[in-house]
Amino acid sequence: MSLIEQIQPSESQIPTVSHHGEIPSGQPVCQITIDGRAITAVVGESILRAAQRAGFNVPTLCDDEKLAPAAACRMCLVDVEGFERPMPSCHLPVETGMTVTATSDGLFTMRKQNLEYILSDHNAYCMPPCQVGCPTHIDIPGYLELMAKGQHVEAARLVKEVLPFPYALGLVCPAPCQEVCRRGLVEEEIAIRQCHGYGGELSLEMEEAPTPFPQEAATGKRVAVIGAGPAGLTCAYYAALKGHAVTVFEMEEKQGGMLRYGIPEYRLPKVKLDKELNSVWQLRATEFKGGMKLGRDFTIDDLLAQGYDAIFLGIGAWSSNPLRIPGEDLPGVIEAISYLRQNASGDPVPVGQKSRVVVMGGGFTTFDCARTSRRLGADVTVVYRRSRKEMGAHYTEVDDAEHEGIKLEFFAAPVRIVEESGRAAGVEFQRMALGEPDASGRRRPVPIEGSEFIIECDTVIPAIGQSPVLDWMETTPGVRKTRRETIVANGALMTDRPGVFAGGDCQMGPVTVIQCVAQGKLAAKAIDRYLAGDDMARVAAEIREEEKVPELIDIVPYKPEEPQVRMPFLPFADRVKSFQLIEKGYDKGAAEKEAARCLQCVCPDVGRCDLQRLSLEHGLTENRFHRAEPVDYHDYEYDFSHDFILRDLNKCINCTQCVRICRDVIGANCYGLMGGGYDSIVTTPWNVSLSYTDCVSCGACAETCPTGALMMRERDLQTYELDVVRCIYCGDCVEVCPHGALGETPNFELSTYQRFGVTVLAKEELAAARTWKPSEHIPLASESKRERIRPPEIRPPGPPRWNA
Amino acid sequence: MPSSAAYRILDAEIDAAHERDRARAMDPEQLIALVEASGLRGRGGAGFPLGRKLAATRASAAGGSAYVVANAYDADPGSPLARTILLKKPELVIDGLAIAAAAVGATSGYLYLRPDGESAKRAVERALEVARPALGDLQVEVALGPGGFMGGEESALLAVLESRRAMARQRPPYPAQQGLLMRPTLVSSAETLAALPVIVRDGADAFKRVGTETSPGTKLVSVTGAVASPGVYEVAFGVTLGEILDRAGGATGKTFKGLHVGGPTGGILNATRTGVVLDYESLKAAGTHLGSAQIRVITSDVCIVNEAAMLFDYLSKETCGLCVPCRVGTKRVEGILEGIYSDLGRADDLPWLDQLADHLQQFSLCGFGITSASILKTTMREFPDDYRRHIDEKSCPTGTCTPARSRRYETMAQP
Repeated sequence: MSLIEQIQPSESQIPTVSHHGEIPSGQPVCQITIDGRAITAVVGESILRAAQRAGFNVPTLCDDEKLAPAAACRMCLVDVEGFERPMPSCHLPVETGMTVTATSDGLFTMRKQNLEYILSDHNAYCMPPCQVGCPTHIDIPGYLELMAKGQHVEAARLVKEVLPFPYALGLVCPAPCQEVCRRGLVEEEIAIRQCHGYGGELSLEMEEAPTPFPQEAATGKRVAVIGAGPAGLTCAYYAALKGHAVTVFEMEEKQGGMLRYGIPEYRLPKVKLDKELNSVWQLRATEFKGGMKLGRDFTIDDLLAQGYDAIFLGIGAWSSNPLRIPGEDLPGVIEAISYLRQNASGDPVPVGQKSRVVVMGGGFTTFDCARTSRRLGADVTVVYRRSRKEMGAHYTEVDDAEHEGIKLEFFAAPVRIVEESGRAAGVEFQRMALGEPDASGRRRPVPIEGSEFIIECDTVIPAIGQSPVLDWMETTPGVRKTRRETIVANGALMTDRPGVFAGGDCQMGPVTVIQCVAQGKLAAKAIDRYLAGDDMARVAAEIREEEKVPELIDIVPYKPEEPQVRMPFLPFADRVKSFQLIEKGYDKGAAEKEAARCLQCVCPDVGRCDLQRLSLEHGLTENRFHRAEPVDYHDYEYDFSHDFILRDLNKCINCTQCVRICRDVIGANCYGLMGGGYDSIVTTPWNVSLSYTDCVSCGACAETCPTGALMMRERDLQTYELDVVRCIYCGDCVEVCPHGALGETPNFELSTYQRFGVTVLAKEELAAARTWKPSEHIPLASESKRERIRPPEIRPPGPPRWNA
Repeated sequence: MPSSAAYRILDAEIDAAHERDRARAMDPEQLIALVEASGLRGRGGAGFPLGRKLAATRASAAGGSAYVVANAYDADPGSPLARTILLKKPELVIDGLAIAAAAVGATSGYLYLRPDGESAKRAVERALEVARPALGDLQVEVALGPGGFMGGEESALLAVLESRRAMARQRPPYPAQQGLLMRPTLVSSAETLAALPVIVRDGADAFKRVGTETSPGTKLVSVTGAVASPGVYEVAFGVTLGEILDRAGGATGKTFKGLHVGGPTGGILNATRTGVVLDYESLKAAGTHLGSAQIRVITSDVCIVNEAAMLFDYLSKETCGLCVPCRVGTKRVEGILEGIYSDLGRADDLPWLDQLADHLQQFSLCGFGITSASILKTTMREFPDDYRRHIDEKSCPTGTCTPARSRRYETMAQP
């Protein structure tokens, strides 16, 4: 039998109608086999529909059961016995005895190739990787967009929703966001850190720092925060915004913790830091108590006895890890953290002109010590046991150190401190080679026998990590520590003792400032929930859910190239012997220009987008079509001119669902495939604004769009007013409303009234903003219980029962 | 070549109107049986037996309305076969269309032409004026396509006749089941239909005497490129490509390097393959297809990678834009090929192209994408040196390529 004869030729064969779920009785059915399973299908329906009903996950991007099939996306192709090539299952009607293979490795590979093609011409992105990458999850595209528009204070406000100190972090953050920035796929990442740094700096000049939202009314609860570092102050800031009274206890005289005492002046000027941190004290009912050390001046029990309802431990990690080699206790071997603290406090330090300093380690503290020593006039060598690649410090820090004249020595581990007349006079090192990767994924260094060498020096600074000081724990029951000398806390950052929370370095071990800020933010949230009496297990589960790293797919971005706006730096020559700030900061123009480079990798369709779902299912984490010539990609203008429907052609995948639904279901026929060849795109005739077409604003196209190319505009009820005088109760609005907002009752005018009554009049501002003032009292549901109020004039079918 | 085979269509001494009237007087079932017995296959490239198409259309129509369309579009600009017939023997096409209409029971027929073939259009309109009184209730109209390669695809053509954009439609259902205005429609190339009066006059056996067993009859081919006398020739199926070149006076100029057979989506064969026989099966076995029956001679000063890239450049402009493999795939393949001839190629580009060719062939909606894979498959198989020189030695084997791009596709992962 030929292919032609196999298929019943008749118009009734158009396989568009189908039924999800049960097959209605009386339907003619037939048996087919899909992936070895026998399936009952309705005669005339497509293989796809039968497969979907039987629970098979056949991918598709252009199928809608209301519409005639287009077979455009080529995702639903299946192998059907008797056909030499895969056939689109959306287009092929079932036939008795058909044997279908819907899942196979071959089909998977081909579908994946299809998706790779689609994503290579999908100039958009769903979730901003920067926001995912940032531990605090700042709305980076959001604030960059505001900055590009020149709304810098508003931008700072947005940042402060999760990060209270944008200026400080703008200088010291290692910027994990920038490492994943998708602009990097075009040419260079956005200077995200520097941009919020500018916004933060700008708000420093304001009399009162902007807050992300108004401080809530006082709750009467008191929170004690121990440690005025990044974690503690962040926690204090957000707890205070929630309306709690917050007291911050700090062992040093001044606020800032590691920001002040660990990070040298040339990276973060302390005057401006204070100004920024003072935003915490500008909030109502916040108090700073310096010179109060946990364990020395007070205990946790004392605080609870004083009536604090919750305690946050953000005590940091202030003790340097020992080297565990002979000679460690000799004079001349100094502790990294104390060294930095002394220098920051203006105390005398044992490093000066012509000192020869050896710093051991590869982290941020290592380079803070080394670069500080260099500025004090010393001759500095940094020794690390692995290679440059494995260093924990940011690569810019390493490069800068080298340019400032610091010698770097890799693959060397200290063996002993060389002693000379009772003092350290050098360090003996052994050469290392990289062996097998260890648990952290970094290759473990192995010593090479007989490769010992000595670096002569007069000061040795081991900077191989810090630990929290937990000696107070002995007298504090209920708070435990891990083997790594950190405080044990659960998913809601609460220790074993109810009401006592811990976060930051003291809970995670030494980490970056931004991670501490993130924990402070989470802790404030957990404390707030704890004070409200919530179940902490549920809070922990919520936080875990929120912090879950979403899977990302690789979509090829295309924008005309534009290099990063360079941050002006202090010249290297000026850095020796000067603690002047290195990063000079953006000016307004530079910040706005840089912010405008953002690709705005956000899509409101995330989670609903079929393309995203299928790409994740097919594991498209890389794409082979990046970075070619401009002719290979499309960069369309948005059309946001329509009142209800937003069109972004960059996200269009030419599935033609909107074309079909607008033409065949709605009848307006606004869309078509325009252009030619590779440049074909679904749009309006001559690509005019949708407002100039026969669009009836029904939203069916946005509803059926598998991606975010067509979306309903977010709507604000306050702009929709019912002029009762002019309304003829035709009911058209009920008919066309895609969200059923007006279709809730048979009397739509009533649902309108209810809606206004409940949602608009309840909010005084909204009611005041309206031009139309209701001329009569509008009954609210609560009032109607008390007395029977005459409803507004209504046409048949008659008045509703208000007290029903 | 048997002399009786030469010029059966172009120089046929035949009273087509007489044969038409004879055919229309026949029982349609018998007429279809006659065509089926003749073994006549579609000249449009795919080679589907016309008899079976007629039978399927007639069965689908089941006495209801049906349409016949003579595809005289000549999608490939380098292969003006239909125009040649229409200029020389327009009555053969019109009467062939009438015979087909009689066979399937259609009362409307369309002669579907390119918009730019003015003289052919005038010729066919004149012939139609002459024939019209004798056509009875058969309405035949001349319709003009939109121009461009895709306008000639059988399902895109139906869309054009329905006043829509020339876009392919997924088959099945075939036009024979659901064609123009959802009615059974016989879409056949003008050349195929032109053979019908001959078959009616001579009978099936006489028709089969020429050509091969599976591909009987003669075929118009367009010989282009570096030959002494380029043009349209009528040859019997079964001749070799070399014999066709000889008919056109042989390859000229520089050394003969390859043969591009089948039009823009056809594969390029090495010059050593002149022994390949012209029929549907042999060409398919050789990696290409009959397609538009263009045979283009490529000389040794042509870099095959460049040639393939130019073909994909053309295809990426001509694709109807509906299905993903064709719309994006042709563009991406073009980019990779341009990368190779711009000396940015890498060794793993070749397996990659193989993979993309498979995808085009397996997942495309219509013959456009499906057949275009043959360009990649044949050029990589028949001219591996051209690719290798560009990729390994970063030099053009013919010294003719100038870089078209400074950047190639890169693999990057979402950081």
